[in-house]
Amino acid sequence: MRPETREQYRIAVFALPATLFMLVMMAIPLGSVVWQSISDDTGLSLAAYAKIVQSNLFIRVTRTTLEIALGATLVAFFLGYPIAYFLAKQSTKRQTIWLIVILIPFWTSSLVKSFAFVVMLGHAGILNTFLGELGLGPYKMLFNRIGVMVGMSHFLVPFMVFPILTNLRSQPPELAKAAAIMGAGKFRIFRTVTFPLSLPGVVSGALLVFILALGFFIVPKLLGGRQDVMLSSLVDFYAREVFDFQMSSAIAVILMATALLAAFLLSKVRGGASILSKESS
Amino acid sequence: MMEGQGSTWRRANAAFAIAAMIFLLLPSLIVIPMSFSDSELIIFPPKGYSFHLYQRYVEEPGWVSASILSLRVAIWTTILSICLGVPAAYALVRGNFPGRRMLAMFLLSPIMLPSVVLALAIYIYFVRISLSHGELRLVLAHCVATLPFVVVTAAAGIQTVDANIERAATIMGASRLYVFRTVTLPLVIPSIVAGALFTFLISFDEIIISIFVAKAGDTTLPIKMFSSLVFEVSPVLAAISTMLTLMSALICILVTFAQKGDAKP
Repeated sequence: MRPETREQYRIAVFALPATLFMLVMMAIPLGSVVWQSISDDTGLSLAAYAKIVQSNLFIRVTRTTLEIALGATLVAFFLGYPIAYFLAKQSTKRQTIWLIVILIPFWTSSLVKSFAFVVMLGHAGILNTFLGELGLGPYKMLFNRIGVMVGMSHFLVPFMVFPILTNLRSQPPELAKAAAIMGAGKFRIFRTVTFPLSLPGVVSGALLVFILALGFFIVPKLLGGRQDVMLSSLVDFYAREVFDFQMSSAIAVILMATALLAAFLLSKVRGGASILSKESS
Repeated sequence: MMEGQGSTWRRANAAFAIAAMIFLLLPSLIVIPMSFSDSELIIFPPKGYSFHLYQRYVEEPGWVSASILSLRVAIWTTILSICLGVPAAYALVRGNFPGRRMLAMFLLSPIMLPSVVLALAIYIYFVRISLSHGELRLVLAHCVATLPFVVVTAAAGIQTVDANIERAATIMGASRLYVFRTVTLPLVIPSIVAGALFTFLISFDEIIISIFVAKAGDTTLPIKMFSSLVFEVSPVLAAISTMLTLMSALICILVTFAQKGDAKP
């Protein structure tokens, strides 16, 4: 064996404990979920999938999940892009301070945030009390789609901000300067230079947010109504209430496949983007 | 004219961005005054202030024991994730062996998987292998979710260490493990601390995986908060939320400092 190869094996050994752990604790469990979804007592069977495709409940929940995930992605984009654009213009020192403002809610427990939204959006909540004093409302903002949207986009905005901010930071400032010298106004520079160049960041942020949104469980359960059941809740329902592991596994496999597909697209987008940026490591 | 248009655009953007950031921060901030309310009702702003809700947190059965369970699970999860994740990050950064990219994707894949899928898989697995130790179930399952974060933060730190320092030590006859322990590890302590703090926080706040894998008697703090939110929204939640928010804020600030220290050399 060449010494170089032997050296590489010595380095690879460092990853062995983690790899074994993930094989035993993740790969085997996930593999058996896939297996469980395509087999029953008699052997291979696609019965669970056939049942799912014909189930009105599943089709309705899938539509709701896609609607909510797309909606939350859009809201996160409209809130996240201006934040990223604003942060990109700040000095490094100010950026650090503003980033803490984003990171604190990012790292706050989703239960804390859900509790806060229950208090803020409820019938006698802070927002309705405030609106009441203006002679408006009360509006129903909790246990319906509005509650889910507010809670989810609040959670997802930071995931949109980070990739866009990374992209905006890596844009050479000379481009905007050149456009300004040519006489373009600030908005025109944004529309014709900055924004088109930031699209890889937008796409990668949107895909990431969409993947995360597909798997939401806590927020729709706590802030949504009966109409806002998402696929995760359906997995939970079949697994822990009906004890139908085959059905819950099949839905989990569908969820996993969708997420992996989006993740694959994400790696394509990122791969393309990293060639453009300076630090293509 | 051009100037005027530009500054309006910039001001409008700044106003919108700041409003959006206030929206992000608002839920974390609003729980703080509420936690000092002296009322049994959840009202904002509170009429009077006291430590009454914190007292209830301590005295009402279940909250403190749930917090202790979460604390124990989070500490063990952190220790296990660091022990597994830091060497793995080293192999991924320094190695050039075949399959390195595949291995990185494999180790980081839990980030991309919906928690509920992992939760279901591990839950069914534990039933099948009849692992009955409640705390161990939680620690092992949490570790699957936290390991990628340790790998990512540790790898970022190891990348800043000059590989030539390690090479020099190796040429002197030191073994890989010895070099890793005495040269690399001390240099990446700030990243490891950052990774450990985040791991602790993720595990302490973890809810979906815990709901699935925890045994009936093992109520972690998030599980207890979740059932309180589902069944009766207890005002004690305001006190707990304030403590959790402060913990998150503290960890964010500590990590910002830890990473500052990392960037120096």
